[in-house]
Amino acid sequence: MLANVRSCALKGIDGFEVMTEVDIAPGLPTLSVVGLPDAEVKESKDRVSAAIRNSGFDFPMRRITINLSPAELRKSGTQFDLAMAVGILAASGEISANAIEKLKKLVFLGELALDGTLRPCAGILPMLISTKDKYTAVIPPDNLLEGKTSGANFITPRTLRDLINWLEGQISDETVTVSFVPPEEEDTQNLLDFSDVKGQAVAKRALEIAAAGGHNVLMIGLPGTGKSMLAKRFPGILPPLSDEEMLEITKIYSVCNLIGAARRLTRRPFRDPHHTVSDVALIGGGSTPKPGEVSLAHNGVLFLDEFAEFSRTTLEVLRQPLENGKVTISRAKETVTFPARFTLIAAMNPCPCGNLGSLHTPCTCTPMQIRRYQNKISGPLLDRIDLTVHLNPVAYGDWNKPAEGETSAQIRSRVMAARKIQQKRFAGTSTTANAFMTQKQIKKFCSLPDGADRILEAAMRKFGLSARSLDKVLKTARTIADLEGKENIENTHLIEVLQYRPLDRKGVPDL
Amino acid sequence: MSISAQERLARIRINAFLYFRADWLARLIDIFGSAEEILKQDAQTLAREAQMNPSTAAHFLRDAFAINPEEELEKTEKYGGQILVPEDEQYPQALRDSKEPPIALYVLGKLPQNKACIGMVGTRKITAYGRRAANTLATGLAEAGAVIVSGLARGVDSECHAAAVRLHKPTVAVIGTGIGRCYPPENRELGRAILQYDGAIISELPFNKPPNAFHFPRRNRLIAALSEVVVVIEGEVKSGALITAKLALEMGKDVLAVPGPIDSPQSGGPNHLIQDGAGVVTSVKDIINYIPQPQLFNLQAPCEKEQGQMPQEGLTELEQKVLEQIGSGELSADQVVEALNLSVPEVAGALFELEVKGLLTCNAGLYAKNKF
Repeated sequence: MLANVRSCALKGIDGFEVMTEVDIAPGLPTLSVVGLPDAEVKESKDRVSAAIRNSGFDFPMRRITINLSPAELRKSGTQFDLAMAVGILAASGEISANAIEKLKKLVFLGELALDGTLRPCAGILPMLISTKDKYTAVIPPDNLLEGKTSGANFITPRTLRDLINWLEGQISDETVTVSFVPPEEEDTQNLLDFSDVKGQAVAKRALEIAAAGGHNVLMIGLPGTGKSMLAKRFPGILPPLSDEEMLEITKIYSVCNLIGAARRLTRRPFRDPHHTVSDVALIGGGSTPKPGEVSLAHNGVLFLDEFAEFSRTTLEVLRQPLENGKVTISRAKETVTFPARFTLIAAMNPCPCGNLGSLHTPCTCTPMQIRRYQNKISGPLLDRIDLTVHLNPVAYGDWNKPAEGETSAQIRSRVMAARKIQQKRFAGTSTTANAFMTQKQIKKFCSLPDGADRILEAAMRKFGLSARSLDKVLKTARTIADLEGKENIENTHLIEVLQYRPLDRKGVPDL
Repeated sequence: MSISAQERLARIRINAFLYFRADWLARLIDIFGSAEEILKQDAQTLAREAQMNPSTAAHFLRDAFAINPEEELEKTEKYGGQILVPEDEQYPQALRDSKEPPIALYVLGKLPQNKACIGMVGTRKITAYGRRAANTLATGLAEAGAVIVSGLARGVDSECHAAAVRLHKPTVAVIGTGIGRCYPPENRELGRAILQYDGAIISELPFNKPPNAFHFPRRNRLIAALSEVVVVIEGEVKSGALITAKLALEMGKDVLAVPGPIDSPQSGGPNHLIQDGAGVVTSVKDIINYIPQPQLFNLQAPCEKEQGQMPQEGLTELEQKVLEQIGSGELSADQVVEALNLSVPEVAGALFELEVKGLLTCNAGLYAKNKF
């Protein structure tokens, strides 16, 4: 007997339909899975046979062949368990013809426990999105949140037995649908506020500019000057996520099976991988490519603390996502693209011992060590960082003062006003913020004011500003102008941007 | 007195043996009559006649024949330089009079004639205070017409050379590599500017010799020998700057020191020197007063203006205020914002203008004045 049951698999962060074809023929009892299954798919057969027996059905003692079609695409994940189990039951005649007729309108996603309970699995959201117009889905109850997010029709039976009973029409739709209780929204908005940070006016201003224009920031400062504190508060001044953005990041988190951890993805992600992170963990990859930290930070913030401690190759792989807002991973079999448009907030010490510029503890590094440390951040990478700020220790007097700075909400309202201007400016193009302007757009929107020549000439002479970094000065100046609601860039804007210039690489006195 | 072309080539050869002091090499020349004669000997004869260890003698000959003197000359001349021996007229008298004159001196640019030479040495890890002192003193001295002799290293050396170059005045860099190299590499532009404004870059090392720790104390003796007085600006208690000071004292030259904060490791060296009786420098005049009469030439003692505030014409009120706030300390932009109760863009504007005007330097986010 033959049965066809629909399921789904993932390619990158998009789902595609997979037909699970089950054939049962006379012969020695075996179960083989074909159609490029990965190891976890091959293991399905043991879970499926146990789940079928423990749900009170007979497992056919015959030769079973399962084909996952299209057979040329690699398949991974544990979501095929359910489709295989239903297929075997259908092919062995355990369920009625009526129920089999119903299968045509359904898509089955879910992992099975040995006792027949449905367990959650990764990537449910993109798979639901790919099939939602055509079929009703069967998903595990624990993936309910994703089902709601996708907008698809679905049921959530607790066990394989419940599912079969429902197919047979013995129990109603309601019994196999868990009711949706929206998870409590955690009020983290007010937990981390910019007004907690004392002093550091320059760094706060730089972060405001970064939030307003989507610019990347490098913070250099002694240990304990508040680099991490500022970075953690940065998502709070970003504009709220649009529905489209929310769906994008939820898809990525779904593929990585992180929905539970992130609860509701209505807030911008904040990822802070440790500096020992591997290239693959940061950028994504693996034999079946999975999104890395840069994609998990999509539409949010990637915070790299101890920036200079990351291995050089790890830092270099950041260049593609910083440039294009996506990561392309090529394998012999396939090429997948993950979105990765994030704001990079990097933080580092000024020197290996961490005391350069401290007024209390002398730095014990040699000039060569300092150079080597700072040079770990390559020029091309620095070129993609628009703002660099130096943080100095907060004096005791400041530390003791009650917080009285601006709140995140105040800053956020200015950021949103600036973003609005940008939305209008870039309407109809793929550019979303000033930081992502193309050459053409820079020409069009960043005309220089009178007297700018003198400033830029002085900056080139004094600070070693390269012609190449001129573009980022213009983009950032555009953002400052937007924050002030000005039509054109003014000289004061340019000068302020130069305040956030990168590390002094010259190290020699002016001539 | 001049020497033959062959002898000059031979001198360049024996000069390449860096494990002997220059006066020992001179003694070898004395024993054998000429450098050419030395190179004709085999290792055994050399060892016997000069009472050397035979293996040292073999090493000596190996090093001497390892370099190609014609090529050394050709390369030096290609850069517009020359290789001087003590018999040459242009060879600096100060070196000829020293205890250890280099056997061969590679010179790029013009050596100063009839000018007071002041050695200015100090740490590579310069502090804002050191930068201010180096800048103020070197500018004052160069203005007065003195030639600053230093080592083209990072930190104090670079600041002193750069101060002279900014005034388009000659300065002499005695370097610890061959003249065909630039060390540290970031000083390439500075080296070029020194030559452009009639200064000189000199070294006794073979043309392409890379830097090596033991080259530097050797080059320090040349700085001490070329200078009438040596000014130590900053340096730790055990540092190259103090080696130069010690060598200068041994040569009977005056050593002056710029006093510094007692808790700054970089001022440990100069403070220590002052304890031992070195002259205290608080102004350009203090230095000029120490130069012996015959070497004063036409040095113009500066008028008193450099003692007061630096000229501050053309500053806006805001810039003036920011400058005053920074005073003699090091402040971050944050601290200026806080202290003056201004906005970040306002302070950024003032700091930018002050930096462009050369009144401030920003290092690791801290702003400090360039001059007193």
